[in-house]
Amino acid sequence: MLLLAYRNLFQSKSKLLLSTGGLALALLLVLALDAILTGTETQIAAYINHAGADVWVSQSGVRNMHMSSSTLPAATADRVRSVSGVGEVTPILFLTSFVQAGNDRHIVYLIGLPPDAAMGRPWKLAAGAALPHPGQVVIDSSVAKTTNTSLGDSVRILDKSYRVTGLAEGTANIVNSIAFISMADFQKLRGSASAVSYLLVRDANGRSPEQVAAAIGSALPDATVQTSSAFAASERRVVSDMVIDIANIMNVTGLMIGLAVMALSIYTVTLSRRAEYGLLKAVGATNRELYSVVLAQSFIALVLGLGLSVLLVLAMSIAVPVVRPSLAMELTAGSVIKVSLMALVIATVASVLPVRQIANLDPASVFRRKL
Amino acid sequence: MAEARLVVEHLTKRFGDGETAVTAVNDVSLSVSPGEIVLIMGPSGSGKTTLLLMLGALLRSTQGTIRFDQQVLSDLRENRLPDIRLRQVGFVFQDFNLLSALTAVENVALVARLAGAGNAQAHDHAAGILKELGLGDRLDFLPEKLSGGEKQRVSIARALVNDPALILADEPTANLDSKNGHELMRRLQEIAREKGISVVIVSHDQRIRDIADRVLWLEDGNFKELAGMAVDPVCQMSVEKEAAVTGQLNGTTYYFCSRGCEAEFLSGPQDFLGLLTRADRAVKPQEAGLGGVNNDF
Repeated sequence: MLLLAYRNLFQSKSKLLLSTGGLALALLLVLALDAILTGTETQIAAYINHAGADVWVSQSGVRNMHMSSSTLPAATADRVRSVSGVGEVTPILFLTSFVQAGNDRHIVYLIGLPPDAAMGRPWKLAAGAALPHPGQVVIDSSVAKTTNTSLGDSVRILDKSYRVTGLAEGTANIVNSIAFISMADFQKLRGSASAVSYLLVRDANGRSPEQVAAAIGSALPDATVQTSSAFAASERRVVSDMVIDIANIMNVTGLMIGLAVMALSIYTVTLSRRAEYGLLKAVGATNRELYSVVLAQSFIALVLGLGLSVLLVLAMSIAVPVVRPSLAMELTAGSVIKVSLMALVIATVASVLPVRQIANLDPASVFRRKL
Repeated sequence: MAEARLVVEHLTKRFGDGETAVTAVNDVSLSVSPGEIVLIMGPSGSGKTTLLLMLGALLRSTQGTIRFDQQVLSDLRENRLPDIRLRQVGFVFQDFNLLSALTAVENVALVARLAGAGNAQAHDHAAGILKELGLGDRLDFLPEKLSGGEKQRVSIARALVNDPALILADEPTANLDSKNGHELMRRLQEIAREKGISVVIVSHDQRIRDIADRVLWLEDGNFKELAGMAVDPVCQMSVEKEAAVTGQLNGTTYYFCSRGCEAEFLSGPQDFLGLLTRADRAVKPQEAGLGGVNNDF
């Protein structure tokens, strides 16, 4: 019966294209959105993940960077250094601002780095130097490209002019990018040298980040101490929390479109072969055997549609960042499993109507023209 | 003759209730022995197909019994009937009813697979039957690539693949030309004789009367005497002598379905007498009552 399902489906190439293509596009909607969200989450947390810290210390209650502000007394760095086993501590300053190049304004995470910053600096460079001195700025290469800015050109941040001395890679995302200036410049912008935003800590004794965080947390009960992975997860959660409703709407939309396309195509394939199902019933096929044909048709279309949608998203995840570097697409196994389950629901529900049609089919209908 | 395999007793089928009830088959009795071919003829709406449906366990009777190899079909539960149809009955249809997406051999093998045969076994068995029916070089052809005669051979192969005890054929030659139709029925006759398969054919086609062991006339849901029937020499339709238009030629009475056929016959009888002779050759002497009337059954 599997052969019959396969042949029925493949006999009409246009119907097959419609059913699998329609399903693939519906699933693509969900998969692509998931891939963009995952890519964006990864990009958003990229700075935290590449900063080189085991542990992040922030103002009490501050658990992420995006849309947050953290202020710690500058002396906190020394308190952390005094905790047993702590290797290096890099303080950074942070705020959300704009980089203006000509008439273009780009939203940035502005990071102020000490001159000898061992952590928190750009991790990959397209050109120039990684650490900015006073009067200098390192911006993302995609922003530079968009604004036609080169090394040596000037950009403005908070009404001050900075010369571009480094172009970083991987520091842009769909929301913003990261710009690095010297801590001295940052303190001037802020008008105070008595505070830092975050402390990036690296362990010296090979302990796990959790152990280091626990040790620092005991010594600094008035601060929030998180491992780098926990801090990154918290950052990703901010993004997912912001878009969860949109994602759900798109998932449901994809599900409904996929369901409609599948149901219609499987229904018409079954309807067009009503006489053949009648014949099979007449010669002794049971309803169960005929249901298996319809279900097999649905699942073959499902596998093809799902496979096609995964291939399309993989192709998009390669092509999109080339066209638009700030947009990343990351297809995860979890997303494929989720969409597979959705497709399974679609195929099953889409088969209900044709199965009912077959159940009600009178085997004598094969002679009906004469009754 | 061997003991009857199919025994129908006082079979009646009524559709609807009360004043609107229509009796399609009325108190029909019939028995068919192994290897015997029974041809049921009759006008449209006479109940032939309804009878065939009941014989094929596709329709429940209102009254009466159908015994098939000692099983009373009317006593069986609904869920037992598909298995009876699959293993004990083979169907041959006017429109062939082949699955358009499957090749000739796959169409036949599918029915064997439904009966539990393995893939290879079903394929080999199906291919063997198709070769016997002269379709060895058409095994992998889709139905759309086959001629009408070839399609009907595939349909017959499908009916034979599970070695049924009974074959029910519904107008098997209606979509075939005279030569193909007759040859195919001859082949079916040989197979039925060889394998002891009972065959019931419902048809309007006078040309296949010679392959039948018995010809029955069904009209208004009842079997009627064939002695009262005749063949229109022009259109080959069966006509009731009492109701037919009659014409005389050289002292012989001919029966026609209409004045048009009569006029056509009388304008050139030599064109039709040959046809009539061929049809007459098909009539069994015991049924025909040939004395003196040229187009009697």
